[in-house]
Amino acid sequence: MKKVLALVLAAIMVFAVASVAMAEGGKTLKFYAWNEEFKGFFEKYYTLPEGVTVEWVIVPSDNGAYQDKLDTDLLNGEQVDMFLAEADYILKYVDSDYTQDITAAGVTDFSNAYEYTVKAASDANGVVKGVSFQCCPSALIYRRSIAKDVLGTDDPAEVQAKLDSWEKFNAVAAEAKAKGYYMTASFAETYRPFSNNCTSAWVDENNNLVFDAQIEAWADQTDEFIKNEYTLTAGIWDDEKTAQMFADGKTMCFFGPAWYFNFCMGNAQDPEKGCSGDWAICEGPAAHFWGGTWLLMPAGTENADIVADIMNTFINNEEVCSKLVSEEKQFSNNKAVNAKFAADESYGSEFLGGQNDIAVFAAMTDNIKWENHTIYDQLLNEGLQNNLQEYFKGNVDKETAMANFFKYVAEKYPDIVLPE
Amino acid sequence: MTMKSKGNRENTKGRLMMFGARFVVYFILIFLSVLCLFSFYMMLVNSSRSNFELQAGFTPWFSTHFFENLSNAWNDASINIPRGMLNSFLIAACCAILTTYFSALTAYGVHVYDFKLKKFAFYFIMAVMMIPPQVSAVGFIQLCYDLKLTNNYIPLIVPSIAAPVVFFYMKQYLESVLPMEIVEAARIDGSGEFRTFNQIILPIMKPAIAVQMIFAFVASWNNYFIPSLILDKADLKTVPIMVAQLRSADYSKFDMGKVYMFILLAILPVIVVYVILSRAIIRGATAGAVKG
Amino acid sequence: MRKHKGVSYAKWGYIFIIPFFVVYILFTLVPQLTTFYNAFFENYRSGLKQIGPNYVGFDNFIKLFTPDKSGSIGMIKYFGNTVILWVLGAVPQVAVALLLAVFFTSYRLNIKGQQFFKTVIYMPNLIMAAAFSMLFFTLFSPIGPINQIILSSGWADKAVDFLGMRVSVRLLISLMNFLMWFGNTTILLMAGIQGIDQCLFEAADIDGANSLQVFFRVTLPLLAPILVYTVITAMIGGLQMFDVPQVLTNGKGTPDRTSFTMVMYLNNYLGTSKNYGMAGAISVVLFIISASLSLVVYKTLSRPYKN
Repeated sequence: MKKVLALVLAAIMVFAVASVAMAEGGKTLKFYAWNEEFKGFFEKYYTLPEGVTVEWVIVPSDNGAYQDKLDTDLLNGEQVDMFLAEADYILKYVDSDYTQDITAAGVTDFSNAYEYTVKAASDANGVVKGVSFQCCPSALIYRRSIAKDVLGTDDPAEVQAKLDSWEKFNAVAAEAKAKGYYMTASFAETYRPFSNNCTSAWVDENNNLVFDAQIEAWADQTDEFIKNEYTLTAGIWDDEKTAQMFADGKTMCFFGPAWYFNFCMGNAQDPEKGCSGDWAICEGPAAHFWGGTWLLMPAGTENADIVADIMNTFINNEEVCSKLVSEEKQFSNNKAVNAKFAADESYGSEFLGGQNDIAVFAAMTDNIKWENHTIYDQLLNEGLQNNLQEYFKGNVDKETAMANFFKYVAEKYPDIVLPE
Repeated sequence: MTMKSKGNRENTKGRLMMFGARFVVYFILIFLSVLCLFSFYMMLVNSSRSNFELQAGFTPWFSTHFFENLSNAWNDASINIPRGMLNSFLIAACCAILTTYFSALTAYGVHVYDFKLKKFAFYFIMAVMMIPPQVSAVGFIQLCYDLKLTNNYIPLIVPSIAAPVVFFYMKQYLESVLPMEIVEAARIDGSGEFRTFNQIILPIMKPAIAVQMIFAFVASWNNYFIPSLILDKADLKTVPIMVAQLRSADYSKFDMGKVYMFILLAILPVIVVYVILSRAIIRGATAGAVKG
Repeated sequence: MRKHKGVSYAKWGYIFIIPFFVVYILFTLVPQLTTFYNAFFENYRSGLKQIGPNYVGFDNFIKLFTPDKSGSIGMIKYFGNTVILWVLGAVPQVAVALLLAVFFTSYRLNIKGQQFFKTVIYMPNLIMAAAFSMLFFTLFSPIGPINQIILSSGWADKAVDFLGMRVSVRLLISLMNFLMWFGNTTILLMAGIQGIDQCLFEAADIDGANSLQVFFRVTLPLLAPILVYTVITAMIGGLQMFDVPQVLTNGKGTPDRTSFTMVMYLNNYLGTSKNYGMAGAISVVLFIISASLSLVVYKTLSRPYKN
């Protein structure tokens, strides 16, 4: 017992000393991320100058742990040379003094980047603080066989013509139902197409919570869809929804960007039960984007030159951006590169029955806006969906669901003024 | 004659009752075991299925990807699982030893000696035991930053010296098993106070120490929240952080089969520790010094 | 005797408890006291901006106990939820554990395969709560195996939404807590019984006491301190219930916040906005509740066996 104790205590000492005395030769940069996606691309396509190494601080985003860690380190003045952020909370960092102007550090050419990605990384005064290495226009993804049955065609252009407004979308939902199909598989499937096109922000200049007409329209549409059984009540990430992507699924429409095929549509690609090739995409009733990862430059970095070079590489280096498309199946944040693939007749996705998805996404980008965002978006969008889901499932009435949403907002954001 | 047959009848009756009692007891035990094993069976099944199969929903039967998942998990390029298990083991072992030793020491101090602050010390520890640990977490993290103790095992190990719940258990245990005569006897034999504790009291407390060691080891082994905010160097990370990292992997690398396999791997060392220590509970009792 | 010898052992009492108190004060007490202190301040983060601390007196407590439009008070509702979830899980937990501990330590029963059973019943405690909840979630999801059985046997024509109904969610949480902790309690009690002088059992045996008599006259009184410990820690653990409902309901406490516990409430304030003011107020209330409940348990259970 005593020997074990002594041994273990000795081991602690060694570890404690070792972790303090880790002497570092050369220059070490610290990059923060919540998963290894970008790290993979970075290590494959970027060569660091001699003597420079990168230490990745990777904290999973479960329960907000990533932002907790990042915020604590930024506020404590720890070394952070670059960090990654998602669309839903990027404003928290961009609109603060903890990020800096990248144009001063040498990232000046945004001519090839899509406007919304630049706007998202710009603060209220238009100062650009970062770049995105991907662009995420989100398309309507439909089952070809069901479209043929319901609409009489599976040609993307013709399907788009029959689904290019919400009125048409709702009318087709009724037709699909009549033939025994679901229009969508989740009560929140159409949330992003609506919420991306809001004309007001979640919170006004006096910090009042505002319900935009688009949000109301989504709630009304979902209400009707649930009542008429045009959709399932599953959540957007639920297994109940993804089970609809099997060959025997009865759902016609999903919404998602390029990353969605691999990330969420594994069931559709299953060699036995899936239906790869029975899918196609079109713009759908409303242009919108979903997700995306931005690289931001913290104010405290002493290695702005290297970070700037990395940013330039991932938006302006033609070779790297091309590889992101051809090798990594990304939709890159470089218009010229995407145009090259869009024009290439031999380029097509097997999963989408040979359709050139880059061409569709490229055509959609002109209509995407970055407007009316706040630092509160992520949790307000999430909270509204979660609380209304209980109403849509029939567990509570709408008033209770909204009251619960307000409680949630009060807990998360004490400074937001709730409607009486 | 009559006496003998009466005795026989009672014996048969007793045996029958014993048989009935055993039947009921085994039935209860087997029922509970099945309930407990079911979740492990599911884990095993899930760790033998590929990511596609897992996303497709549940099946009660094993699939064929067990060894594929095992080698994927063990050889993951960016997440060094063997290293994580070693780190976790080191931290958990230190916590288990420190927490039981010092809690026993404190409990013994409060139980055996009379001193002015004795009552205060006891009620103080009882009171702080009620404060939910969540409330001190944020302040604790800030403290680690102020003391420059991030990426260091000290904040994960040293605080285990002061565990109010373990102290309380040790105190209650001493109350139920330790007669003061033993301490007095040791003193008469000329044993110093510290030696009395280490050589006479600790062996008596073996069952209690083994029990709390198991709990402390498991709690530390499964602890995610605090380590995830203190450790960010890849070489220092512990098992639960790695599980979370696997689960949040990006789509090209996301593999639920690997996650289940890793959770399964993470349980094995704890079971070994448990089996070893739970023997000590029984041995400690039979070899106890309290007898006689 | 001691005084006669002129030896005072009091200093050893202090020496033995010093390491505990030094470490406790340094690593735990300071952050905890700050938390309580913060209950009287407005103190939170909005984005990366810090608001406060501004002294607000008892405002946070008043906010905590102000009824909403429908007349229900959040804190009281969540306290009720916590108590219900705890009773459903902890009562069977302690009862079954006591029964098993007696089984395992009984010479008369002499159970075979003890090591196996003891290992198995403790195993659920080894799985991380998050992984355990993940398993239950898949089991009871609308397309999970339980629903597949229900649908294929024709008991219902639509999938049962187990995670959307108050009764089933509460029962599931309690069942999981029971499974995770009854093995743990069994081991505690077993160690307690093993610590009892075996001669007492043998003596009772010779005196012709039956199993029930042995249990109530010998085992229970001598086990009382450990039993008090078990009940109090189970209670504190119950009041601090967090991870199982958090993961199972994804932090929402569905349906209609009926499985939302006090610490989930606390956690909602601590995450994102780092609202130390409100979190501090909840902690104070939680502390008062657990301290008074524990005191009652400690006094009532300890008394009858003190002689």
